[in-house]
Amino acid sequence: MKVSRAFAVTKRVLRDLKNDRRTLVLIFVAPLLVMTIFGVAFTGDVKDVRVIVVNNDIAAASSSLSDKIISNLDTNVLNVAYSNNEGDAVAQVQNGSAYAVIVFPSHFTQSVQARASGQTSVAQENTTISLLADKSNVNVANPIIAAVNKAVVQTTQSQGRQLTVLVDASNAIYGANARFIDFFVPGIISVAVWQLTTLLTLISFVGERSSGTLFRLLASPLKESELVAGYALAFGAIGTTQSAVLLAVGVLLFNITIVGNVILAFGVIALLAIVSEGLGILLSSLARREAQAIQFLPFVVLPAFLLSGVFWPIEAIPTWLRPVSYVLPTTYAVEAVRSVTLRGWGLDKIYPDVVALLIFASVFLVLATLLLRRRD
Amino acid sequence: MRLREALRVRQASAIIDEKGLVQAAVSMKDDVCIRDLEKDFGGFKAVNKLSLRVKHGEIYGLLGPNGAGKTTVIRMLCGLLRPSSGEACVLNVKLPDPGVASQVGYMPQELALYLGLTVHENLAFYGEVFGLSKRQIDAREQELLRLVDLEASRDTLIDQLSGGMQHRISLACTLLHEPQLLFLDEPTVGVDPDLRASFWRYFEGLRDAGITILVTTHYMDEARHCDRIGFMREGRLIAEGAPRELLELTHTDSLEDAFLAYSRTEGPQ
Repeated sequence: MKVSRAFAVTKRVLRDLKNDRRTLVLIFVAPLLVMTIFGVAFTGDVKDVRVIVVNNDIAAASSSLSDKIISNLDTNVLNVAYSNNEGDAVAQVQNGSAYAVIVFPSHFTQSVQARASGQTSVAQENTTISLLADKSNVNVANPIIAAVNKAVVQTTQSQGRQLTVLVDASNAIYGANARFIDFFVPGIISVAVWQLTTLLTLISFVGERSSGTLFRLLASPLKESELVAGYALAFGAIGTTQSAVLLAVGVLLFNITIVGNVILAFGVIALLAIVSEGLGILLSSLARREAQAIQFLPFVVLPAFLLSGVFWPIEAIPTWLRPVSYVLPTTYAVEAVRSVTLRGWGLDKIYPDVVALLIFASVFLVLATLLLRRRD
Repeated sequence: MRLREALRVRQASAIIDEKGLVQAAVSMKDDVCIRDLEKDFGGFKAVNKLSLRVKHGEIYGLLGPNGAGKTTVIRMLCGLLRPSSGEACVLNVKLPDPGVASQVGYMPQELALYLGLTVHENLAFYGEVFGLSKRQIDAREQELLRLVDLEASRDTLIDQLSGGMQHRISLACTLLHEPQLLFLDEPTVGVDPDLRASFWRYFEGLRDAGITILVTTHYMDEARHCDRIGFMREGRLIAEGAPRELLELTHTDSLEDAFLAYSRTEGPQ
């Protein structure tokens, strides 16, 4: 073994790398990106969750136990709003503008104190705070329940005598008995379709460029828009099939809850696949070989995986990082698919997400067409 | 010295020819006419003031070393690149024109086939892109596979064919929609001598059937099959004529030597 010859190889490898900026970026930037996102996103607790308090307690404000409990609610976690009408409050949760309703019964303070003085005839429901939550997102529902319980414990302890206050969170507005898997599967399906479609289009289009088939097509009567539309149809179909298989496995293997219209969920995923296809074509112009195309993968997959609400909700992502979530098409797809499967929402309620996806799709497809029309 | 004078005379007569041609342009059919065509890639002039005409029913060979600008010319004629200046007409239509594509057959330098599809699937796809009906595709497929002698390989994946077979299928894809004009970009690169000879037989056969062919190559010797050739160097046309004519004018025995003779008289740019 001769050191100088081995050294020549080392030099060759390093020189090669010096000329390949894309790989250099991958070596240094990608891990930094991953570390930052993981670090920031994982430590983030749920913040700013909108809940509505309906306080029917008729005690005098000065001695009201309910007001004390409300003032002890952690305002970092909960963004507390008030309403006098339980029906209105529940409607707000149903349309997605709040996550939970906290209801105090009408003789709350009085009943709790009566019970503490030894009156056993007090009805239990009068000492119970009802928590009506949207449990479709377990990672939001659990912190709400925890925050309410904490406020109750803090308040009763500060009263100096034994008080019994119950919190009943068993009635869910959405997602009764939802488990992590019920919430996770719809999210992971969206991200899987996003990742696979972007990658497949990217590789397929880099192939069209390097094999010369794209030249033949662009010199034929085929229009650039027809090429993009043809790809979109193909990948829309593949995405739908893929999500159907994944969802079927979810139901058969994990018995996941689906309360909404599955066809609507497939429609959303097909739309996401078309968005991904547009992105794949756009990225293909930046790569000359298949090997270079693969290097885009972490940049496509990781942010979508970590920041679009698949594992933990957008509410748990630090405010300054949320804009990144909102420019990710997957955020809207995850939200829409989950709303359909767990909340049973229809198009009338998920349309904002669908509109967002339609905007992404049109922008990406138009850009991809314009890119293919370039002739310089 | 004598050579240089001879060339000068030749160039002068070419200018007269050019003027005569302009007047005769209406009556005489040129399938390709290029005037002062230029392509600038960010400061690098790949094609520099190029003018040439390809007559109807001839094989015109564009010859020159790698990097002379031949492929850039072909790509501009196929609408894949926009010229920086100058103009080009194809089949009497001024480019760019979306309608002309259906009458032109383009064979790129690359194989331009889908390796994961069978021969038939490739032909059918390109046929559909050109708007042929299923019946037309089947009829043309039979005819072309017979021409390139690959009838038995109809259902074979392109991946599993030899390099030479793949080249023949690439040619078949180019001819599928019965184009009147062919742009063949280095069709014989990486092709063995036997197949190269049969390719030129195909080209001559197509020409005899009335199809006009503009073909580029850097194999000088095979250009003897062309009716006329143009020598390209550094983006410019340095000589043009029938092969025999160019040999006589340069007093050389091979087109390679003829090219070198013209290269020398041109001098470095």
